[in-house]
Amino acid sequence: MRTPDRPLKIAVMSFAHTHARGYIDLLKGTPSVSLLTSDPGEHSDTELRGRAFAEHLGVDYVDSYDELMAWQPDAVIVTSENARHRADVERAAAAGAHILCEKPLATSHEDGVAMLEAADAAGVILMVAFPVRFASTFSRLKAEYDAGQLGQVFSIRGSNNGKLPSERAWFTDPELSGGGALVDHVVHIADLLEALMGAAPVSVTAVTNQKLHADRARAETAGLVTISYDNGVIAAIDCSWSQPDTAPSWGGVSVTLAGTAGTVAVDFFGPRARGLDTATGLPIEAPYGPNFDEALLSSFIDAVCSGEQPQPDGGVGLRTLDIVLAAQESARTGRTIAVADVASSS
Amino acid sequence: MTAVPTISSPAHLSSPDGKTAMTHTPLRIGLIGAGGISHSHLRHLLTLGADVYVYSEAGAAELVALYGGTVVDSLDELLAAVDFVDVATPTFTHHALVKRALEAGKHVISEKPLARTDAEVDELAGLADELGLMLFPAHVVRFFPEYVLLKEAVASGRLGDLAVLRFSRSGAFPTRTPWFADRALSGGIIMDQMIHDIDIARWVAGPVERVSAVSSHAGDATTPVEAAHVLLTHSSGAISHIAGIWGPSHLPFTTEYSVTGTEGSLAHSSVAERNYISHLASTDAPSGLLPEVDPAENPYFAELREFTDAFGGGAAPRVSAAEGAEAVRLANAALLSLETGQPVDIESPSAQATGK
Repeated sequence: MRTPDRPLKIAVMSFAHTHARGYIDLLKGTPSVSLLTSDPGEHSDTELRGRAFAEHLGVDYVDSYDELMAWQPDAVIVTSENARHRADVERAAAAGAHILCEKPLATSHEDGVAMLEAADAAGVILMVAFPVRFASTFSRLKAEYDAGQLGQVFSIRGSNNGKLPSERAWFTDPELSGGGALVDHVVHIADLLEALMGAAPVSVTAVTNQKLHADRARAETAGLVTISYDNGVIAAIDCSWSQPDTAPSWGGVSVTLAGTAGTVAVDFFGPRARGLDTATGLPIEAPYGPNFDEALLSSFIDAVCSGEQPQPDGGVGLRTLDIVLAAQESARTGRTIAVADVASSS
Repeated sequence: MTAVPTISSPAHLSSPDGKTAMTHTPLRIGLIGAGGISHSHLRHLLTLGADVYVYSEAGAAELVALYGGTVVDSLDELLAAVDFVDVATPTFTHHALVKRALEAGKHVISEKPLARTDAEVDELAGLADELGLMLFPAHVVRFFPEYVLLKEAVASGRLGDLAVLRFSRSGAFPTRTPWFADRALSGGIIMDQMIHDIDIARWVAGPVERVSAVSSHAGDATTPVEAAHVLLTHSSGAISHIAGIWGPSHLPFTTEYSVTGTEGSLAHSSVAERNYISHLASTDAPSGLLPEVDPAENPYFAELREFTDAFGGGAAPRVSAAEGAEAVRLANAALLSLETGQPVDIESPSAQATGK
């Protein structure tokens, strides 16, 4: 990461999202970064939150966002509940801080637009945390795509499957999360396809159900989505929380592309050593590979130092959110939804 | 082509010592068509001990020269010589030929799809019923061991209540004859290739209530490519995604599935589960048009063995004319969805044949 003239002051707003831990773990060991966190509000006794979580991680903490903003951070990482992203981003922007916002950008198109406007008005960077596009395998795919080695791409399959998030209850509370598996997982693949092709999604069809984790879920736990893009490409995404709680690893992200010159399949979190536990016969899986969050944070810090807006920006966040909103509308109505209608109706 | 399995013919087809008896006369089967899949059908029918008569507008003599059998010069001559008919012709000709064979009182095997339109499959399934004749659509994927295992795992309850299913099938665009590329004649990739996984999805997850589809084309007239994604909503609430690729000519044939239920999951990738991996300087690349199969349990052979067993008085096969008709209706619903740009609701899904 680039070294600023003085330690860069980065504030973390909320420990609601489990990714907060990963970002803090990476940043707290960075000498050029000074870190301060806050996670105000009432927290369930069953979740390690607030000051206790900060102490657990060994990071500085204040009790309120007022105190956090009074520290005058250069940059803010927003890892609150999805539905609270707008309020937190607006607050950070008003304080003149550059912003890295956890995905999805927001839970409504209107909120997303307001967040982009707030960042614009304050003249601060708004970046959305899509780490997978920072994978070296994605860089290779992008290079081969741009060089024409796939020919004309005509069909894509993507999957982002994981466990039902259980460390934080809000993930399955639609009021705070904005939905279920669709809002949690479609955006990662949608971001990769935007970064790769730069094409606009035209229409979206989705089917969902709530059979998996039926006792705990208050929104869809399985979802299949098809997207037609304006460059003629068709894509399908499986966003299901279909990795059982008992699985040896969290899940994964993969894409398979078909072009007139051939196919490429990328399994971004695929490589692992495999074995068996002798006593139980259960599989041992030890995934390995670079931490994409590190490259994401490095890119954000570079941008904060240079003042230049990095990718993925708020616009990507909003366009990938629109795909989710169209998918949710399709699942509700049983109709294929024009993405433009989602963006104009809210 | 792979070697023929050396399996002795069932007792009702020929006696163990090869001598035919009154009760063990060989089945007399008429094979119509001498194109790509006819090579497989003729080989396996002969292995099963049948007397095979071949009629085709072109290529019958060449086909028989390769494997055996008897060439006949007309459809009338074929129908006069046999008790059973195997239709292995282009899709758009299935209806007329199957109908003709049924009306001549013959039991029939038809390559998939059973026919091109809903009206045609309804008529054929109804006619077979009415005449008390057997009619078996050749949905060969039901005979591939990895799909048999999936069906068994689901049927045993091991996966629980099915939630989400993904199927993928990818290979080279079939450019060897022009009719595949004509959607009116073949139904395109959805009706010709993806109908396999449409049938499997319905076989394992039950009747389908709603179908949507998107498709894409690229390339040019000599090197076309085509793809589609189909989404199915089953009556149970389970959801299925079926992906099909007809890609460039060098693309190997690959399949995948991933099925998750409340009690477990089962996934298969033909690329991952290979038992022979070579990196030789000189090797014959496998065809991108058909999957690689283990010759010791060739699914194309197993399929024809099960059908001919039924012809000889054995048990009903794992796929019926009604189910072949259902697969065609779902594929046509997907084609309608392409036209309208909207999902298509299936009428009376509860009446769908559910199969064994």
